[in-house]
Amino acid sequence: MKYLFVNSATTNLEVAILIDGKITYLYDENVGQNTSSKLMPTVEEAFKKSNIKPRDIDKVFVVNGPGSFTGIRVGLTVCKTLSWALKIPVVPISSLEVMASGYDENVISLIDARRGYVYAGGYDKDLNNIYKDRYTLLENVEKNIKYVSYESFSFSTAIPKLDVKKIINKHKDEEEINPHTLNPNYLKLTEAEEKRLNDKKS
Amino acid sequence: MYILGIESSCDETSVSIVKNGTKEISTVILSQMDVHAYYGGVVPEIASRMHVENITIVIEETLKKAKMTMDDIDAIAIAYGPGLIGSLLVGLMAAKTLSFIYNKPLIPVHHIAGHIYANNLVKELEFPLIALVVSGGHTQLVYMKENYNFKVIGSTLDDAVGEAYDKVARVIGLPYPGGPLVDKLSKKGMDTYNLPLPLNDKSYNFSFSGLKSSVINLSHNERQRGNEIIKENLACSFQNRVVEILTKKTMKALKDYKVKNLIIAGGVAANRGLRKSMEKESEKNDINLTIPEIKYCTDNGAMIAAAGYYAYLRGDRADLDLNAKATLEMK
Repeated sequence: MKYLFVNSATTNLEVAILIDGKITYLYDENVGQNTSSKLMPTVEEAFKKSNIKPRDIDKVFVVNGPGSFTGIRVGLTVCKTLSWALKIPVVPISSLEVMASGYDENVISLIDARRGYVYAGGYDKDLNNIYKDRYTLLENVEKNIKYVSYESFSFSTAIPKLDVKKIINKHKDEEEINPHTLNPNYLKLTEAEEKRLNDKKS
Repeated sequence: MYILGIESSCDETSVSIVKNGTKEISTVILSQMDVHAYYGGVVPEIASRMHVENITIVIEETLKKAKMTMDDIDAIAIAYGPGLIGSLLVGLMAAKTLSFIYNKPLIPVHHIAGHIYANNLVKELEFPLIALVVSGGHTQLVYMKENYNFKVIGSTLDDAVGEAYDKVARVIGLPYPGGPLVDKLSKKGMDTYNLPLPLNDKSYNFSFSGLKSSVINLSHNERQRGNEIIKENLACSFQNRVVEILTKKTMKALKDYKVKNLIIAGGVAANRGLRKSMEKESEKNDINLTIPEIKYCTDNGAMIAAAGYYAYLRGDRADLDLNAKATLEMK
């Protein structure tokens, strides 16, 4: 089986191709603000180096959040379009799970969501979501566990590690989603929507 | 040659197929206007979110309507700027993905060039021409000596004309988007309020923020004095000033450049007051005027596909690293 993995929701842009359980291409770099221009050339390179064509792919795995709103949409739009055009299944993956995937112990992944808030999710060594993904105040996040993050906090955190094989093995048999209905999982309303809700309440 | 055009620069997700830059085969437009109306204007993050939810659906519907598949398409044209960056990116990423999968040329199109070429779907452009592009985000006078050759001779120095309309509408108490409602209301009113003719100089530039402020101040002062604003008359006075300066500078450009062809494009081209004034002055000065149907005035994929054809003929191509541009010069 041939799988494509794309993550543009967090600090590192990650693109991988797996063929019959072997990684034939892996890109995992911090590209700063250049995700939207860097992603497609990287996908193109992934196919070239793996010696396959887009039509050869059996399934697409894409990170649909949480993280940078724009980053999420960049990767998700590409994978929705690929899945729709090639009529192949697409599976959404949590960015917090991806950050934890390289660890063989219980960790909580953190993404800074500003103003004291974080996106947080805890995973065990088999990538079970033991502390459900959420948008929360940092002070409310479960204590006394190993934290993984690209950002620095007042406490110590480990650098996220990607194990793309582990992620794909866990999700490869999941039910497929219609690409039209595959959407970002921002875990957070837009500011305009939040304000509107608050105005309604008061 | 069949071009698939994608437009997502503001709050419309639209895809079209156009043959040879002139014949519209199919178009789907998904407007988010009703959603943004809750907030009194376009909320960029909500716009981006809705684009990503709808983009593949709109592409599929466009192909279905045309009874075509991606294999029948010869190239993909994308509006990559100017516009809201988050919105533009959704259309752009979809366009790049299609270009990659099907190995079709990717044609970068300037959003304003698209508005101008909406006219080409009605009647092939005749050159040289002057184009007045008026919308919620843009106000420009463009001189074209031949196909896909743009020289911007005038722009707004502050607000776009449609933006000024929406703000004035809010002052009068009309819901968003207020532009068309101001136009409607102005028909029932008289030009009784003393408002300035904005940037009445020799340049081809425009300025609407001063006029907008005059409307706000006037209405504020009247209310302080305990007087009711006569909405119809204020709408009429405002619209008359806008239409007069747009018409005056456009006619001056036609005369200075010795051009007989005029096209009007963009959402505000739907304004009845502007249409009437331009028709009258064009007839008087023996100008060949084209204004597209209302459906071609607002943002749509067809205008991008039409412009894309001429961009393609000029040799414009983009690589997969093409990025979206919030601001972009027309070349």
